[in-house]
Amino acid sequence: MTGHDDGLPNDPEGMGLMIHALVDGELDAAAALAVERRIAADPQLAAEHARIVALRGAVGRLPRPDVSDAFRARIAAIGMADTERQDQAEAAQPRRGMPSTLPGLIAGAGQRRQAGTRPSQTGTLPRARRFGSFDWRAMAASIMISAVLASGATQWVMFSGAEDGFAAAVASGHRRSLLAASPIDIGSSDRHTVKPWLDARIGVSPPAPDLAQDGFALIGGRVEVIAGRPVPALVYRHREHLITLVAEPQQGGKTAQPDDLSSSGFSMVHWSDGAFSYWAISDMERPELDDFVARFRKAAV
Amino acid sequence: MSESALAERFNQVVLPHLGDALALARWLTGNATDAEDVVQDACIKAHAGISGYAGGNARAWLLTIVRNTSYTWMARNRPRAMMAVGDLGDLDDMAAAHGTSLRDEDGPETSLIARADTAALEAAISALPQPFRETLVLRDINGLSYREIAATLDVPMGTVMSRLARARNLLASELGRAP
Repeated sequence: MTGHDDGLPNDPEGMGLMIHALVDGELDAAAALAVERRIAADPQLAAEHARIVALRGAVGRLPRPDVSDAFRARIAAIGMADTERQDQAEAAQPRRGMPSTLPGLIAGAGQRRQAGTRPSQTGTLPRARRFGSFDWRAMAASIMISAVLASGATQWVMFSGAEDGFAAAVASGHRRSLLAASPIDIGSSDRHTVKPWLDARIGVSPPAPDLAQDGFALIGGRVEVIAGRPVPALVYRHREHLITLVAEPQQGGKTAQPDDLSSSGFSMVHWSDGAFSYWAISDMERPELDDFVARFRKAAV
Repeated sequence: MSESALAERFNQVVLPHLGDALALARWLTGNATDAEDVVQDACIKAHAGISGYAGGNARAWLLTIVRNTSYTWMARNRPRAMMAVGDLGDLDDMAAAHGTSLRDEDGPETSLIARADTAALEAAISALPQPFRETLVLRDINGLSYREIAATLDVPMGTVMSRLARARNLLASELGRAP
């Protein structure tokens, strides 16, 4: 390979780099032309060129990882972390700026609840328009009406009202976690690991007593996205059963006694302690879940 | 810049490139679950440093953070999978140990490369030494330019080019070998 005066390298390795650069579109027109001429005149270079093109094509066709809605929402939540923390410090009522980043990202029944409880805020957000054209105020009004009509917690799978939508989201989150590679994002039986993890992710962490002595071992936590905002979820294990405990930060300090929302083969119990609104779900029998709830309530005080 | 402007910028700069971020992290850590953890950590860092983003290619900016986070994460969580990488001399040794033969007479079969199935290709990429793998992924999966890769890896452009060529040669000879 001698006698070229086209400014290209004459050693095979250097020429190889030029072919890669040609395939990658990194050469200007003059250099590209010169390299193409060399390729045309040299079968070995032409074979090299064909190999690189074939390889690039094969690598480019590899399947790419999906960005799940839940993951995207988790990342979007990071964007609001600072404003969140400020709100929290000022008003001791966390997670209230959150809906503004999330409408449309999580389409689901849970969002209606958002619309119902925060009509003035969600109705004026520009991001909501970007993601969809439905009118939040009309939606909010219709939910208000349906919330009045639907008397409290009936069948949570029916999406008939706000509570039900939240419960349905908790239930589907639990089901999904059973199907996922791991039901937890942070695996630890140490609440001093789980709580800071949740705190760093979403700025809230519920009480996380370890009830291993009672037969309910804390195995970790994850972040659920429900009603368009991230909420902490703790995962306990009782024999072969997993219990997901979603703890929604609460404002207003209402307390509520455990309420049975079980359906579709899952046991679900909902209660509030003033700071958090809890949803415990599992495929255990109801009495066992009640036992868990009683022990948790006792330990969390 | 106000909080909300920063949050808006975060949404514009980071969210559109989550797919690329996950793809890079998946190849650097070796699996998709770890990739989500890494990208989440990286996004927290990106959020903290968003005011330092000075325009330019947002994807390259985010991928630089993802790449650095991947290695910190790997060192902490998968110390055994980490291979200390020294200077370019080591790289040449690694390439030799990997059994590359640069430009043998007729080279691997182009048709075999083109027909390579996904599993074989993924295995071959996973087997690449890390400096070659990250260069190849940034170029052929994330689509960064040589200049952006050089900035991301903080190496000269010539190094990017030679690592990329080496990576592709290794892959080609792995895939192009007749079964």
